[in-house]
Amino acid sequence: MSDGIKSFLARVFLHGENPLATNFRENQLRPPGAVDEKRFMALCIRCNRCLEVCPYHSIKRAALGLTIGTPYVFPETKACYLCMACSRLCPTGALDTHLQNPEQTAMGKAKIDVTLCYSHLFLEHDVLPDNTGNRIGALCNTCYNVCPFPEKAITLKDNLFPVVLDGCVGCGICVERCPTRPRRAINVTPSGMGRVDEAGFYFRKARKHHESTVSGPMETPSGSLKGEKLIERKYNIQGTTDKPQFQYPYEPQNEIEGWE
Amino acid sequence: MTYRPYRRAVQAGVFALMFAVPILNLFEIYAVTGTFYAINIGGLGIADPVVILQAVFAAGTVGGPLLTAAIFPIFLALLFGRVWCGWMCPYHVIADGLSWARRTLRSRLFGTTEPEPLSIPRPFTANMTRYGFLAAGVIAAGAIGIPVLNYVSAPGIVSTEAMILVKERTVSIEIGFILLLIVLEITVLPRFWCRLFCPTGAFLAVFRGPFTLRVGTGARNPKSPCCSENHCSTACPMGLAPFREGQNLLCTNCGRCVDACTSKRLRFMGF
Repeated sequence: MSDGIKSFLARVFLHGENPLATNFRENQLRPPGAVDEKRFMALCIRCNRCLEVCPYHSIKRAALGLTIGTPYVFPETKACYLCMACSRLCPTGALDTHLQNPEQTAMGKAKIDVTLCYSHLFLEHDVLPDNTGNRIGALCNTCYNVCPFPEKAITLKDNLFPVVLDGCVGCGICVERCPTRPRRAINVTPSGMGRVDEAGFYFRKARKHHESTVSGPMETPSGSLKGEKLIERKYNIQGTTDKPQFQYPYEPQNEIEGWE
Repeated sequence: MTYRPYRRAVQAGVFALMFAVPILNLFEIYAVTGTFYAINIGGLGIADPVVILQAVFAAGTVGGPLLTAAIFPIFLALLFGRVWCGWMCPYHVIADGLSWARRTLRSRLFGTTEPEPLSIPRPFTANMTRYGFLAAGVIAAGAIGIPVLNYVSAPGIVSTEAMILVKERTVSIEIGFILLLIVLEITVLPRFWCRLFCPTGAFLAVFRGPFTLRVGTGARNPKSPCCSENHCSTACPMGLAPFREGQNLLCTNCGRCVDACTSKRLRFMGF
């Protein structure tokens, strides 16, 4: 018997870990105010009152598995707008009824994938391979603009590109609005996903899933500027004299007829 | 007094409530929210006692609002018996329709017009099965930390499906369970879910006292039938002999036997 199976059996039978109760995925969050996942699964009676009162139709029922009928927020389709109507109404305490301050919720933490984020790619690597194979640049910062707690949950480093801070509650509005497709450049990891004590059997699955979603550092063509140097150079671009060395997906017009 | 029209009116009202709640919620009227797992009517929280029992076992402790939500259904059961099942439960309405369908099919296919004997299994066996199922479910809920009986709570699923149908114009996979029950009730054994398994009905039947509303004749020795026709036993959907088994845990106080009694001896008794 391999060590993996042995340790799994030990965890189920000796430590009483439930292999079935928890199921974490990125961008799959419990409604605001949810207690930790194990206790949530025990307390949630699937009455779906949270789903009924959600004015934004953000809360969906889980469709399959042991979590069937329990509420989830899928921020890729519809994020949570933190009105806290659901947690006020929960009859069992699966959602903390006393928690009314949206800033104290902990649905998860947003995480920026720097290999996809337009702003990071543009500022740090000067490139963005879009789906046509062309290299274009763009400053986006949508996540900063839509965040309900700007400067607490997310900030603009050097006033240029977004960085998630500790105040992030994981509402997922940034995920809903992030323009990159098919994968979002910003994703929310539900709270408890990376913790062994809470994720139980699914910890390994969740960790594997989590690792697969985090990609390594971006490879840039040798010789080109990177990171701080690139940002510094971009600060010093003069609109009147310099012509930025971008690769456009079209032929840029240098002369316009009738213009001096 | 005939109870049937009143019972049908209450059943229709509850069935309509299932659809009315999500429709009102779509118009942002949240006076009534919830499904028949747990519902809140203008501040009065009501929850299925089995749901609460499981939550207590699964979570170890359970806080305020859920425990107070048990008060109303238990109070109702103590006063009126299992009227939730006989008069309100949406699955019971479906089961009523299914037993009518089964009766019609029997007479069309086999030409039998006499009512089907429902005494198999005997009430005692049926009760043992029911409480065994309830106990197994509650123990399983405590063991794996999930209220597992909610996966098979027929009234809860029916009302949830009604809510999803209104709110999201779709149904979830749980409706397969209801369809399975429908097929089995038509082909195998009518009302087998209510009689043999339903955990909600079983747990509600526990809450009863000497003052609880029940069916009886008032006779000193109710062992023998009070008339030769025995309309009450053939009318009983739970397969009881109401003249002596009005106290049985299976009785839902639906009043069919009282309506069927030609000698007017059967009546509701209690408090």
